[in-house]
Amino acid sequence: MSSLAASNQNSPKSCKVTAPEVIAVRGLSKRFYYDRHRAKSLRQWFIRSVLCRPVPNMPQAFSIENLSLSICRGESVGIVGGNGSGKSTLLRILAGIYRPSCGEVICSGGLAAVLELGAGFHKELTGRDNIATYAAALGLSRIELCNRWPEIVAFADIGEVLDKPIKHYSTGMQARLALGVALCGEFDILLLDEALSVGDQGFRHKVEERLKQYHADGGTLILVSHDLNHLRPLCTRVIWLRDGRIVADGKTETVLRDYEEAS
Amino acid sequence: MIEDLSELWRFRHLVQLLVVRNIKIKYQHSFLGLVWTFLNPVLILSVLLAVFTNVVRINIDDYWAFLLSGFFVYHFVSQTAAASSSVLPEYATMVRGVAFPRIIPILAAVSSRFLEFLVEISCTLLLLIVFRHGGIPLSFILLPYLIFLMFALVLGLALPISALSVFYYDVRHLLPILLTALFYISPVIYTLDMVPEEYRLLYLLNPLAGLLDLFHMTLYEGVMPSFAYLALFSLQVTVILMVGYVLFGRFKPEFAEVL
Repeated sequence: MSSLAASNQNSPKSCKVTAPEVIAVRGLSKRFYYDRHRAKSLRQWFIRSVLCRPVPNMPQAFSIENLSLSICRGESVGIVGGNGSGKSTLLRILAGIYRPSCGEVICSGGLAAVLELGAGFHKELTGRDNIATYAAALGLSRIELCNRWPEIVAFADIGEVLDKPIKHYSTGMQARLALGVALCGEFDILLLDEALSVGDQGFRHKVEERLKQYHADGGTLILVSHDLNHLRPLCTRVIWLRDGRIVADGKTETVLRDYEEAS
Repeated sequence: MIEDLSELWRFRHLVQLLVVRNIKIKYQHSFLGLVWTFLNPVLILSVLLAVFTNVVRINIDDYWAFLLSGFFVYHFVSQTAAASSSVLPEYATMVRGVAFPRIIPILAAVSSRFLEFLVEISCTLLLLIVFRHGGIPLSFILLPYLIFLMFALVLGLALPISALSVFYYDVRHLLPILLTALFYISPVIYTLDMVPEEYRLLYLLNPLAGLLDLFHMTLYEGVMPSFAYLALFSLQVTVILMVGYVLFGRFKPEFAEVL
């Protein structure tokens, strides 16, 4: 888990003096092995040390390589890039789900990430029960959940289905639950991966309005999307990733124009 | 360690929700529902009693009482150990999506089974008090501590089993065999005294042997075990729990990548 410590040290891209840095990433790399490497490595260790035969090294790939960035409180950052450019991996590392292979990641403040559809949900349980467990897994206490309950339910707005097992839900309805918890939970940092791409027009609009409000209240937002029209109204800054490295990092319009020209 | 404990305290609400969820899921699609909590042990015990009082005769006074005072402990340990190899895969989406403490699914799985154990042990106590002792022996006050040790031991087994089975599927092949063996190498259907003296120390390396023996002493015989015995066994459980906890800690950062 990423350490939750406040940090005001020198960062690669320093913030405006007024807003404190809430996310600091320095020299981050993430390597993945292509296989269940522990079982393989035990077997390789046996072949190498006990049988004394040479074995080829396990294939591995860098998903993110030597990446540094800094995000201040209240910033709304979009991340763009092709498939496999490391966007989701970066979000997972920021959320504390993946451990960096090397480098340092500091996130200060309560954080919610909506990464995969249905993450943390159990098919057999009702929407109501799933909201409760999901919120608790994100670290909300019972009292916090009670306070925000009406808002979450109103935001998800799925009616009586709330008391039915979510295996009967459509993907859009599941997304409504997850986003309801994340957006109404009053987290300091929100990480959303393609979260706007599901859900109908009305709901998308609602999410956008909510995110604008969140931004106005000083929340920090990181949004990954392939639909640039989602990013334009919401983000003040966009980071363009390719092969796990930052290609461009700057004002939304500038970066998105370059990105569109390149692709 | 302290940090982990305080984090666990922060997420206590999640543990509670997951325990309720486990129980709901376990019983919601069965016709008899919660009745199974009682029915299940009653059925197994009747089979064991029928066989070991009529077919295989073991010369132990009130054999039913002897069997009863240890069986549910064995049952709890082996069932949780068996179930722990599939706990983390069950939570795969949650582990991949949210950075909550990884120990929580294991703790919740053990705890929800533990609630069933409490029902079983309460019935046992009632039967022993009425039909065997005709009163409450003093040694029963030790029971909460023994149950605490049992819980710690199970956690100490469930943590490494669940973590290892994510990375090495071998665990899933090996575990059923080990658990079957465990029934025969633990004093469930026979007493510790029946084990030849020269093997007894080796035999007690199996933590379940000591645990069952302690349960037999306090529940079946109604005598207090010696302090030295209890201390030594507590030490054994502590070591197992620490080793299991450390192992789990080494593996947990990679769960999300492999599941």
